This record gives sequence, structure tokens and C-alpha cells, in this order.
Amino acid sequence: MEAQQSFFDFVQQQSGKLLEQTLQHIGLTFISLLIAVLIGVPLGILITRRKRLAAPILGLAGIMQTIPSIALLGFMIPLLGIGPQPAIVALFLYALLPIIRNTYTGIKEVNATVVDAAIGMGMSRRQLLYRIQLPLAMPVLLAGIRTATVINVGVATLAAYIAAGGLGEFIFGGIALNNTHMILAGAIPAALLAIIFDGALALLQHIPFRRIRTVLYVLPVLLVVLSSFYLLPVAYGTKLVAGFTPEFMGRKDGDLGLRKVYGLQLRTVVISDMIMYKAAYEKKLDVISGSSTDGRVRAFDLVVLEDDKHIFPPYYAAPIVRNATLEQYPELAPALNKLVGTINDSIMTELNYRVDYLKEDPAKVAKDFLAAQHLLQPARNGNKGVIRIGSKIFGDGYILANMYKLLIDGYTDLRAETHTGLGGTKIAFDALVNKQIDLYPEYTGTGLLVILAADQATVDSLIGDKQKVYEHVSNAFMQRYGIRWLPPIGFNNTYALMMRRQQASALHIKRISDLKAQQ
Amino acid sequence: MIKLEHVYKYFSQNRPAVSDVSLEVQPGETLVLLGTSGSGKTTTLRMINRLVEPSEGNILVNGKRIQDQSPEDLRRGIGYVLQENGLFPHYTVAENIAVVPNLLGWDKTRITERVDVLMEKLHLPPAEYRQKYPRQLSGGQQQRVGLARALAADPPVLLMDEPFGALDPVTRASVRKEFRTLDELAHKTVIIVTHDVQEAFELGTRIGLMDDGKLQQIGAPAELLFRPANDFVTAFFRDQRLSLELKTLTLADIKPYLPPTADTDHYQPHVLPGSTSCWDALEETMHTEGAISVDFRTEVFTMDSRSLMTAITVYKQTALAHGSATKLF
Repeated sequence: MEAQQSFFDFVQQQSGKLLEQTLQHIGLTFISLLIAVLIGVPLGILITRRKRLAAPILGLAGIMQTIPSIALLGFMIPLLGIGPQPAIVALFLYALLPIIRNTYTGIKEVNATVVDAAIGMGMSRRQLLYRIQLPLAMPVLLAGIRTATVINVGVATLAAYIAAGGLGEFIFGGIALNNTHMILAGAIPAALLAIIFDGALALLQHIPFRRIRTVLYVLPVLLVVLSSFYLLPVAYGTKLVAGFTPEFMGRKDGDLGLRKVYGLQLRTVVISDMIMYKAAYEKKLDVISGSSTDGRVRAFDLVVLEDDKHIFPPYYAAPIVRNATLEQYPELAPALNKLVGTINDSIMTELNYRVDYLKEDPAKVAKDFLAAQHLLQPARNGNKGVIRIGSKIFGDGYILANMYKLLIDGYTDLRAETHTGLGGTKIAFDALVNKQIDLYPEYTGTGLLVILAADQATVDSLIGDKQKVYEHVSNAFMQRYGIRWLPPIGFNNTYALMMRRQQASALHIKRISDLKAQQ
Repeated sequence: MIKLEHVYKYFSQNRPAVSDVSLEVQPGETLVLLGTSGSGKTTTLRMINRLVEPSEGNILVNGKRIQDQSPEDLRRGIGYVLQENGLFPHYTVAENIAVVPNLLGWDKTRITERVDVLMEKLHLPPAEYRQKYPRQLSGGQQQRVGLARALAADPPVLLMDEPFGALDPVTRASVRKEFRTLDELAHKTVIIVTHDVQEAFELGTRIGLMDDGKLQQIGAPAELLFRPANDFVTAFFRDQRLSLELKTLTLADIKPYLPPTADTDHYQPHVLPGSTSCWDALEETMHTEGAISVDFRTEVFTMDSRSLMTAITVYKQTALAHGSATKLF
């Protein structure tokens, strides 16, 4: 059983993948760094000469730095699609500021008398730059490159969200799967890379004057060599490109199941859920691992492939609540249960569509829906207690959390507050166990496979029957964690493989088994 | 040869930093530009190697207008010494000295030989100092490397901006003395900028006193002392006037004004040459109980301190009364 596997075993098992990811990570870091040096250093030099450009250029590079990394990657997708290019451009933009700023500062801080002497001796501008300013600015310039390197090693983990590879695949896969070994297998090498490169550059930075001119030549060569690492792991070839979330990649009811049960060996890239549907729509990807009730299935005209060999377990949504909270406030469960039976798959897809695609506020969508169901009551503004509702970063989660808030506010004297946007199953569940939230909507399949990490025999005996799965997780959660599953709401948000409708019909693909013919 | 013709420099619209400066310095001559800070002396110097571009007027170096050459070529032909020495911290002593020869494309052996010769002359034994870095040297040694660097390509013209200003008084005196006796300088056209009056009188064959961007007076040290062009010149030297006068005047200068001497037969054991300054002569009287003997080539005088002082006083009165007709040097 995987949960009892040691970290060392995991690393050994995944050593091929770990090496590939590490090389990709180094490659991503240094390709972008190389470009940042090639552009940043000349820009830094330019603004020491054209003083009026200094403020706008440094300001612009500074603004780049303040954009949250995941948002910057998001901005890149419409421009450059998915894969290495947007990742490299985003990393390059991050690396730019420290390099420009330190080149500028380094040159500015060269003793004015020394520069005066060099000009007075009859050096041309170029000679002054190469013989005096750059060598003397080198320690400061290297400090900038050092900062940029460490930033890049860190930000490069996010490249896994847009199918650019790197150690982020393990980190985000591990977070999504509640697999600590996997997180560490990504996080430890990433931290080591940061420490090693930082230390190596620190050595270069304190190099004696005598050898400073050597650095001028060695550094670019080193950058190019390290950059080329990215090209080493070669793509493996099928015609169809699949984009799977990090979570899907490591799950038995995900990529592992596809390989084992269906025998599929698709060319696979790892990608964030947030951009996967759009990438499929834009023909960057052909097959994606979506969720069946996602609003974007409708928005991007995708078609769900039939799971003819039944690897995807039932994923019925239900609120899971700490039992202590239920006992403290008996009126809570009836209020939450008002939602039972009101939402089926197509309604959920429709609601998600309004939130994900039409960009309506989840709170408003929730309110409209409850009103239409005659379930909406004005808030009582009670002060009996506070119920903290969590949700994962899915459309479902946001909407359900908002519905529960309205129900609690309207039918009880409790006051509800929402904590939406918990990064993944592990984060949401840990928050619940640690009493940071009182409830969040979870899926039966996730409970079985991810949280309980049930062994293969148990899974096989349950997986075909949604009722058995529900009963199993209900009992196990109550015993192990003191957390109660309330009755399922009604819709099944299961994993599904999906394709563009047009391509699927052109290739006559209806079922997952049909994909095999396309390998 | 350096020549400035009606040179102006405006940094701002209304007030020139340098105003209508004309001067000429011949090979073998050392002109000291003297003045307080802000007087325009450094700007004047930096215009000669185009570190500052003149706003108006002509500057000629060795007969050629400086604007007609590229700044780099011009500067490679001019030695330049800075106050804070401006040595390149990442270059060794030898590399620092070799900068201009390298820029001029000399071959390696020629450069090595030249560097060694200069280091010997400036009392920096090459074997010991060639591979040292500037920060491993004392202030005086650094300044000597700075001087060697300026002299490396044997430029006909040497510009020095407060060359000894950053040194402590003792080191300054010794480096200055070394500088005066350096044979490398014998036929060079030298301009030194300083605010130190003693230094100006010690090093300058001529002194140009600047104030408010203008050249107030230019001439031999004695001229500025004894025939000041205006009140500013008089006031500038007031505090040190007596010592400057005594140091500037030689016994030969005041010979015509010495009272006729009664005794030309009894000489002091140590006879002073006519080129001795009055200052040194007076000092000598303290050791000889008042009397000194001076060899004026045609005759030998013996005199005491009182007759010496009388002669100096008469000299000064004559100089003032006769104005420019008086031959002072």
C-alpha cells in the first residue's frame, strides 16, 4: 500500500521521472536566466548612459516582479499558449528586475575617480565598459544573477501548471493527491537546487580580482550548458496530446488507471485545471482530464468520453462536517440537507457554466438558484455561533459553499462565513481536521481514494456502486476523524476524459477504449 | 606646449565657471594653477584633455586644436594624474602603469621594460611591487604609481589635478621632492592644479592665480608676490607673505641692494652659492652668529642678517616703485 511506502522507496521508484523533472527544472531556470542576462545586462548598461530611461525601465521591470507568478503564467497563455514558451517568458520577466537593477547599481557604484582616470587615460566607452566598469561591477551584477536564479528555481515549480514540466509536477501532484512523499520528492530537489546554485554563485561573487575577467567568459558558457538540460528529456510520440492535472496524473482512477485498465500510452503533459479546458478548445491539447459537471465542458463545446471500463469511481458531492459541530448545533444538519435532491449533473454544469464562463459571481448564482427553488430566506443575522464553510478551488465548491452560507444564515441563528479557494483536497481536509473550518463539500470518490487511500481490494469491491462507496466513506470518516458525511446532494462530478466535439466525431471516438486506436 | 585662447566654460546660463582664460605653457615649464575651490582651476585643467568641453575659445596642445582630434587620441598623448590617484583596483601595479602603452598598442617587451624603468625611478622596486594590487600599497606609493601611469607612454604634456592633495603632510613633502627631481619631467609641459600655496611656490616655474573663473594673475612666483596685479592677489598671499618672499628671493636677486661691505677678506668656513634662497640664508645666520659668506661668482660677500633684511626691504620698495620695468627674475 502506497501510504506505507517509505520516501526512499518512492524516490527509487520514480527516479527516472525525478531525473527528468530535475533536468527540466534546471533547464527552465537557466534558459530564462540566460535570456534575462542577455537582455537585462545591456538594458542595465543602457540606463547608466541614458539616465532618463532609468526610472521607466526599472519601474516596468519592478511591476513585472509584483505580478503574482500564477497570474503572470495565466496572462501568458492567451499570448503563447501552453508549454515551455510561456513558462520561459514568465520566468524571464521575473529574473529581469534583479539583473537590470544590479547591473545599473553595480556600474553606478564604480568609484567615480577610477572612471575619470580611465577616461582621462584615453579609454573609449567600450574599453571603459569591458575593462573597468563591468569587472568592477561584477560582484554586484553576480548578486543580481544570484537573486534571479533563486527566484527562478522557486517560480519554475509553477511551470507544471502550464505543461512545461519541472519539479512542480511532483509538488502539485502530491498536494492534490495528499501524497507527502510525492510533495517532498519535488520540494526537496527544488530546495537543493536553490541552495546549490545560490552557493555556487556566491563563490563566483567573491572571486579575487585577478580572476574576475575569467568570470566574464565562463558565466555565459555555464548558462548555455545548463539551459540545454531542458532539451534532454525528449517527448514521446503519439498523435494525440493529452493534458492531465497533477492530481489526475498520480491517481489510480486517473492516468494510472488509464495505463493499466485501458492500456493507454498517450503523450501526456501536466497542466493546471484552470487552463486545461481552454487549451483543449484552442487545440493545444486533444484529450483532457476534466470533471463531468464543469461549466467549461459546455462553454468550449467538449464531449465527455464514455468510461466503458469503469475506472472512474462515483464522485457524489456531499457536505462533510465535523461531528462536534453537528452536535453543538443540531439545527445545522437540516439546514444543509435542504439542498439534497435539487441539483443533478446538468444543473450543476449549467451553474458552473455561469460562474466559470459567464463570470457571474458564485454568490449571486447561488442566490438565484435558491430563490428559484423557493429555498431562499432572508438572513436572520443570528449570533448563536459562527460556522466556517470551506471549499476547494473548483466552481462546484464556490457555488455550494455560497448556497450553504445562505441556508445557514436563513434557516438558523448561526452566522456562516466562507473560506473558499483552499488549494486542494489535502489542504481542505487538513483545515477541517485541524478545526480551521467546520465543513466543506467533498466527493465520495475523493474521500475513498485520496483521503482514506483505500487498498485495491476495498476499492475494487466498492467502486461500481455509488451507495456502497458512500456508506464506506461515511463509516470510515466517522471512526477515524469524527467527521460526518451528510446525504449526497445528487450530482456526480466524476472524472472524465473529454475532447473537442469536432475532433472526436472526426476520429470516431466515443469511448475511452477508442483512443487506443489513435496511439 | 599648451595654449589657451579666451576660453570660457558655462555650466549654467548666467555665470561662467571659467571666464576668458588665456595662457601658454612651454615645454620644460611647470605652470601651477592656484586658487580656492570653485575658482575654476580644475575645470580649466579638465578642458585641456576634453574631460570638460569648452564653451568658447581655443585650446591647443602641441600646436594642434584639441577639437580636431578624437578625445581618446588626445588623452593618450597627455599624462593625467588625479588627486585620489584613480588607480584601477582590479589591476596590478604593473598593469596600472601599462594602461596607456596598452591602449597605444605597444608590444609586450617594450611595455615591460618601460614599466620597470619607471618603477625604479619612482622607488618602487619592480620585483617587489609589480604584482601587488593598489590596496596593498601606502598612500604615497599609490600616488607614485599614479604618476608612473601618467608618464608611462612618455607624453609631452602632463596634467595633474591636486596630485598630492590626499597625502599626509610628511608623505606629501617627500613625494613632492621626488617629483621635482624626476628627470622624466625635464622637457615636459606640465600644468598642476592645487590650492596649496606652499606647493605652488615650490613646484611652479610660473603660477596662475585663479578666482571666480578668471585668471587673476599669471607669472613667475616673485612677480605675484612683489608685483601683484590686484587686491585679490595681495590678499591671497597675505598670511604667508614673509615666508613666501624669503623663500622666493635668492641672494643673487638682492645683491644690488646689499650695503657695501667692509670686510671681503674674512669668510665664513661655509660659503653659500648665490642661488640660495633668503630663507635658507637667514637660517644659516643662526648657526654662524650672524655672519654668512656668499659666492656671487665675481666676488664673495660676507654679510649679516641685518644687512640681508635691509637689502630685501629695498628690493621690495624698488619693485613696487618701478613697476613692470624692474627685472625681478
